[in-house]
Amino acid sequence: MTTEHTRIRSLDDPHIFVDTPATIYDAVPPYPPTTEREAEFYSLQDGEMLINLGPQHPSTHGVLRVVLKIDGERVVDLDPVLGYLHRGVEKICENGDWHHAISNCDPLEYIASMFSEAIPVLVAEKLLDLEVPRRADYIRVLAWELNRISSHALFIGWLALDLGGLTPILYGFIERDEIVEMLAALTGQKLLFNYLRIGGVNGDLNHEFLSRLGDWMGRAGQRIEMQQKLINENEIFVRRTRNLGTVDRETALRMCLTGPPLRATGIPYDVRRAHPYSVYPELDFEIPTRTEGDSWARYMLHIDEIKQSLHIIDQVLHQIPDGPIMAKLPRLLRVPPGRAWIAFESPRGQYGAYGISDGSDQPFRLRIHDPSYFNLQTVGLVTPGHLIADTMAIMSSLDPIMGGIDK
Amino acid sequence: MGRPPGRPHRPRGRLTEAPPDQSRSRPTDTALKRRLEARLGDQLAGPVRARHDTTEIVVGPGNLAAVMRALREDPAFRFELLADLSGVDTGTVLQVVYHLWSPLTPDWLRVIADGLPREDPRVPSITFLWKGAEWGEREAYDMFGIIFEGNRDLRRIYMPPDFKGFPLRKDFLLPDDAARSPGMGVRYMEQPVAPAETRRQPVLRTSPGTGSLVAGAGHQELVAGETAAPALSQGEPGP
Amino acid sequence: MHAEGRGVTVITRPWQRLTLLGKILVPLLIVFVAVNIALIGLWASGLLPWLIQATLDVLGANVGIIRFLAAATVILLITVPIAFLIIFFEMKIIAFVNLRVGPNRIGPWGTLSSVVHGLKVLAKEDFTPTGADVPVFTLAPVVVYLAAVMTLLVVPFAPGLYGFDMEIGLLYFFAVGGLGVIGLMMAGWSSFNKYSLLGGLRAAAGIISYELPLILAVVGIVLLTGSLNLTTIVESQSGSVLDWYIVRQPLGALIFFIAATAEGGRTPFDLTEADSEIVAGFATEYSGMRFGFFFFAEYVNVFILSAMTTVLFLGGWNAPFDIDPVLEFFNIATPVQAVLDPGALDMGLLWVIALGAPIVIGILGLMVWMLKSDWSIVRSLIVGFLLFNLLLSGLFIGWLAINLDWVIGLFWFLAKAIGLCAFFVLMRGTLPRVRIDQLMGFAWKWLVPAALLNIFVTAGAIIVIKSLEGSL
Repeated sequence: MTTEHTRIRSLDDPHIFVDTPATIYDAVPPYPPTTEREAEFYSLQDGEMLINLGPQHPSTHGVLRVVLKIDGERVVDLDPVLGYLHRGVEKICENGDWHHAISNCDPLEYIASMFSEAIPVLVAEKLLDLEVPRRADYIRVLAWELNRISSHALFIGWLALDLGGLTPILYGFIERDEIVEMLAALTGQKLLFNYLRIGGVNGDLNHEFLSRLGDWMGRAGQRIEMQQKLINENEIFVRRTRNLGTVDRETALRMCLTGPPLRATGIPYDVRRAHPYSVYPELDFEIPTRTEGDSWARYMLHIDEIKQSLHIIDQVLHQIPDGPIMAKLPRLLRVPPGRAWIAFESPRGQYGAYGISDGSDQPFRLRIHDPSYFNLQTVGLVTPGHLIADTMAIMSSLDPIMGGIDK
Repeated sequence: MGRPPGRPHRPRGRLTEAPPDQSRSRPTDTALKRRLEARLGDQLAGPVRARHDTTEIVVGPGNLAAVMRALREDPAFRFELLADLSGVDTGTVLQVVYHLWSPLTPDWLRVIADGLPREDPRVPSITFLWKGAEWGEREAYDMFGIIFEGNRDLRRIYMPPDFKGFPLRKDFLLPDDAARSPGMGVRYMEQPVAPAETRRQPVLRTSPGTGSLVAGAGHQELVAGETAAPALSQGEPGP
Repeated sequence: MHAEGRGVTVITRPWQRLTLLGKILVPLLIVFVAVNIALIGLWASGLLPWLIQATLDVLGANVGIIRFLAAATVILLITVPIAFLIIFFEMKIIAFVNLRVGPNRIGPWGTLSSVVHGLKVLAKEDFTPTGADVPVFTLAPVVVYLAAVMTLLVVPFAPGLYGFDMEIGLLYFFAVGGLGVIGLMMAGWSSFNKYSLLGGLRAAAGIISYELPLILAVVGIVLLTGSLNLTTIVESQSGSVLDWYIVRQPLGALIFFIAATAEGGRTPFDLTEADSEIVAGFATEYSGMRFGFFFFAEYVNVFILSAMTTVLFLGGWNAPFDIDPVLEFFNIATPVQAVLDPGALDMGLLWVIALGAPIVIGILGLMVWMLKSDWSIVRSLIVGFLLFNLLLSGLFIGWLAINLDWVIGLFWFLAKAIGLCAFFVLMRGTLPRVRIDQLMGFAWKWLVPAALLNIFVTAGAIIVIKSLEGSL
């Protein structure tokens, strides 16, 4: 739909030139404050300064802009500004099929996209009251746990990178590389897998996937242990993350934290155990928790979770039954009218989806509850009082991913 | 790790009356339904429905704060985890839907604050109970226009601060709305009369730096010729 | 860009049409032709001998100044290859730590990649941000670079190979090295940018905090040597490894090394340019060659700090062991030059040069051709030529090493300094970053008291030893 104004005539065309004074990049917005909090935040005491962190920044995990109010090096207050990656996923899902929603929701948690695909899939299956074949369920769990490990491996690298260590992220990428290669053998894609389908999965396990998986499993546990030795007990790393961004149990519940940040405060809430779905009831795993609630606890928790995921994959490979991988569904999928809420555990926390169907083949409303979105509020709560450098450490330890936050 | 695989799994921290069979159409916690009706009966605006593993109650916006406080703080309920807060546009009215979890029941609880009029949707904010709901409410305001009274920071979160219109409402149509499925009827482009929004002349925004130059159908409230450049506040040098 | 009048256009039009290479070569050519014409004119008019004599008189009278100017030029020129070398280390060593390979396509094993980086930095657009304080903004990189490079003037690379032998060389080093902070502050304030401001202030706080332990750590050495002259300090470490100050002053060495890491802004103390926090710190608004100056200054600083560490603690140009007793034990005569007396060959020398080179190249090429089955004879001959060059260079360096006493010294000095540079780079690849309050806390609460303790213990030990010797 090319219309007159969208056709660029030339880059020197005065029509498209917008005079942008330098002050538009000010941290202070050019309009008077509209809410109490805005007024409180944007009024500066003596000696305080507003500084933008982002949206282009090596350490915000995506395009996130955080306005810091600093007094010297100390952060007095902070205000995250979102929306730089807002793609209107929920609205676009309403315009397409339930099947299209799988591809639309894929880029939400783009580094572990099996989880974000599960949103429309699980909601539609609940609305249809569909029984997914057990083999498909097991394959889903396998894929989910592999994605969880690759996401956690990357998290560990990111946290170290934001603190200045250049090496752990490349170690994390070794794991991620191998997992991504095996998932590419399984799904054909390396990042946005598009593998889950309503009623099952897209393709069965094949020989290349299983051989890569076997190779990797043989060395994964030991290799991850070995790679962690670089920073786990490194004095500088521990001193940068201990007692940083401490969240206690009550605050965690009030701030709607979920996932590893919640479990690091001592509350053993994991959706796979609290409200089991898929074949998790048949699998034997523990929920690692820690009690300190600081960044170091969150970091160590991710390592514990990797070990649990390895154990789960082991069991899945032993217990996986034969059978079909896809339930029988009509081509034109009309989902019966109703409302359904599903929740599952992604590497970042509890992913939720509330789907409303009006009987047609398009979702009437697909609400996506992303854990990173609610977890990010905790940054504003715990950072004041720390230094600017700590903002990075705290934000990275909460593991935000902007695809999900901005939807 | 540690438990022999032969032992049956018992979910921890919950009432063991939940059967191990986790298929979708298992019966729900009827006790919860009764408890909710007993405790909150007069504040509910509709029957307590239960389907699959979710129990659902409907309240009016006036009663919402009391109901949520009761759900959170009553030791018989202890719905301490707010799992989600979302807005819904049913086409006629707006709703706010909350999902809660309690360690005492295997079911999710859905609280629907129904009957918000489209012109002036107001609902009490629950940030006094869950501070983390602040951003959820901001998003509902941004996408639907629902005003949460008591939220200290009710401004837009995804859209630019001077955006007019509420994207997730049903009367906000995307420009490329031609993706309607064939099962539903004719394609949008083939409809006999296109809505007035797409016939409007696109407006070149002249306000500096905020938003894009292309006005789509969604920017219908932006008046042509509106220039921004309000008073820039006394600034810090540099970004 | 149309100049007024035809006369100016005659020059500017052809000038604009030249390529970059042309813009360098054509002025050089003009200068060369002009100088030749001048010389011919002088020779023809008979003034040439007088001119030559006058020039030599002037030069002879000012040998000191000429030597100083030459030293300064050499130092400015060698900083660039040194920076290139350290940049290459940084890329390759960190790559190996990261279990990757690093650049390996540009030049053999990626050695020319740092040259490419240097050229890239030259080619980038050099802009000044709106609102920046232009004179300060422009001069800041110069100050940082010069402060770093000027300190090289007193560092003794080998016996007799130094820029300027100052009696207060150590003091000069610290004084001039500390001027770099001014440059960083200038950069931080003059860019119209809050990130730069933060970076500049962090730089000031951090580097100034570590000046104190840096200087206090070497007071022990000054007490032991009795002089601030760097050449004297190196000479007092002659002997064997056990005479080096790292053995006699281990605490001082450790403090100096840690403080040097912080001074140079290297990880774990690199928060002045913390990549993941404040983008590039004080250098955020710099691009092109201005950023190149900061970039080079940092790496030259790494080299300078390693050089100082070797001079002060690792024995400078001294070998770890003395090779002469070993040679005497084996009865190897040291004056090998008696064997290599080319004058004895008379006309035979010409035959040796004319025939020897092709014969050796042929032999080497033939050997290569026999070993590598898939190479053509031409390729093997070329490789043979390169090997011949290597052989000749090796023989030449060996001859130099035997005849000139500074070659071996230079080799040891460079080995130690570059080894330390590699260690700095290794630290960057492994360690995370320290926070600013932890940085300053560490300097003031731990390093300064430790350095003071070191001074007292050293002074006490000297008194005790002197009194014992005196009484014996």
